[in-house]
Amino acid sequence: MAVNVIDETLFESVDPVVLKGSACTECDAHVFPAMSSCPMCNGTAVQEIALPTQGDVWSWTTQHFEPKAPFRTDEFHPFSIGYVDLGPVIVEGWLVGRTNWTIGEPVRLVLAPAWTEDGELVHTFGFESAGGA
Amino acid sequence: MSRRDDDIYVVGAARTVFGRFDGEDSELAEQAIRGALADSGLTWSDVQFAVGGTNGETKPDNLVSRMGLTGLPFVTVKNGCATGGVALMTARNGLLAEGDDIACVVGYDNHARGAFNASPARYGIGDWYGETGMMVTTSYFALKIQRYLHEHGIDPRALGYAAEKAFAYASDHPFAWRRKPVSVDEAMDADMINDPLTRFMFCSPDAGATSLVLARGPRAFDLCDRPVRLASVALRGRRPGSFEVFSTWLSPGERTSPSIDASAAAFENAGIVPADVQVAQLQDTESGAEIIHLAETGLVAHGAQAEGYLNGDFAIDGRLPVNTDGGLLANGEPVGASGLRQVYEVVRQLQGRADGQQVPGAPSIGFTHVYGAPGISACTVLMAEGE
Repeated sequence: MAVNVIDETLFESVDPVVLKGSACTECDAHVFPAMSSCPMCNGTAVQEIALPTQGDVWSWTTQHFEPKAPFRTDEFHPFSIGYVDLGPVIVEGWLVGRTNWTIGEPVRLVLAPAWTEDGELVHTFGFESAGGA
Repeated sequence: MSRRDDDIYVVGAARTVFGRFDGEDSELAEQAIRGALADSGLTWSDVQFAVGGTNGETKPDNLVSRMGLTGLPFVTVKNGCATGGVALMTARNGLLAEGDDIACVVGYDNHARGAFNASPARYGIGDWYGETGMMVTTSYFALKIQRYLHEHGIDPRALGYAAEKAFAYASDHPFAWRRKPVSVDEAMDADMINDPLTRFMFCSPDAGATSLVLARGPRAFDLCDRPVRLASVALRGRRPGSFEVFSTWLSPGERTSPSIDASAAAFENAGIVPADVQVAQLQDTESGAEIIHLAETGLVAHGAQAEGYLNGDFAIDGRLPVNTDGGLLANGEPVGASGLRQVYEVVRQLQGRADGQQVPGAPSIGFTHVYGAPGISACTVLMAEGE
């Protein structure tokens, strides 16, 4: 059965989960989600690329209050958000599995259930601890 | 002292009390304009050029229907948290370009309760960003200061010091909104909003208005006993490497900031260095923003902020009093009025007639800084000039 995701354009592949960004062939800037031009050098020679799936927590916070619409959830619980350093680019996403994190700790990309729609789970991308500590 | 025809001075200033307001926001604007005109001894018919800013739905240029249909050009600006600085710059430019003598600037807003709710589409981001709960301004501020504290080895208690200072100043300021003192421990132990920021470390949207009357050239000294010279005003946007709200990605390279660029330009154009500043206003949307902006503007070295608070450097009798009216933390943020509130406070300090605590020693050089989405900053240098 196909996995429902929040926005298919974010993903190079859903199983296994890989994010799709774009890279500028002029200045090598990487961005996420993919764009049709480069915001760093204004070049238009960009190509879509699969982003690395492992990285380190670059910064984090936990969202303790329920965001206003258009936020969607079945039942609100505090959840963590972070920026994850994937090497060529730092990507913002959910940090899943706990609500307390350390800058520099290793994480890996996962699919995380976001809300239920028509009886089926819709997933977003997130990062979970890659252990090692 | 030489007085040049193209020098611009603040000759009148007024603000309303900030906080919750039940009426129309244009009532607040009118109140501020009338106050600033009274302060300058001028009338609306003397004003040749007007600029107004708000983040709300009303049209600032329609304030002429309250103030008088004199036919004057009235420019509207809408630049988020930097609206006040942009309005002031626009008024200065108008006076210089048109050869006019008198301008009026006003900023006002009356916001609903709670954090601002932004639409992903307005920022060119997919719906998924808002639906997954990442389109939240408070989490942006938290993520930014969390990283900043880590990079510069700053004790997180600095966030509590900043909150304590803000409410201490505000407790003596008749126009501030939140005037109850808060201790460092209370600030640190309060409900967590977004780690590491608690309830006492965020400003809230509220209502208020501020207005300034500007005059060009020596005439300012006929209008005002103690005119304050707008020595510079600089506006800058973001460059690659800045860390802005609603960023789905960041570049791993050098970190830049529009605040760094705007403050450097303001100091250079005024012919001073940051160490010359004797009273300052910084954008403190939350405690962390004050900590970051102290360094981005060059007033304090990166990493030295916590020590500065502990030394009392930013208190009224310290080396560099900062946000002497309680800043955004205690005044809230009526977006259109906030940047002009900063200028108002510094003008009053330089004139020796602060509404709250007065910086001792007759300070003569002040600085203001606003910063906002989507990565813009406006800074001013203000100078008191004697006879």
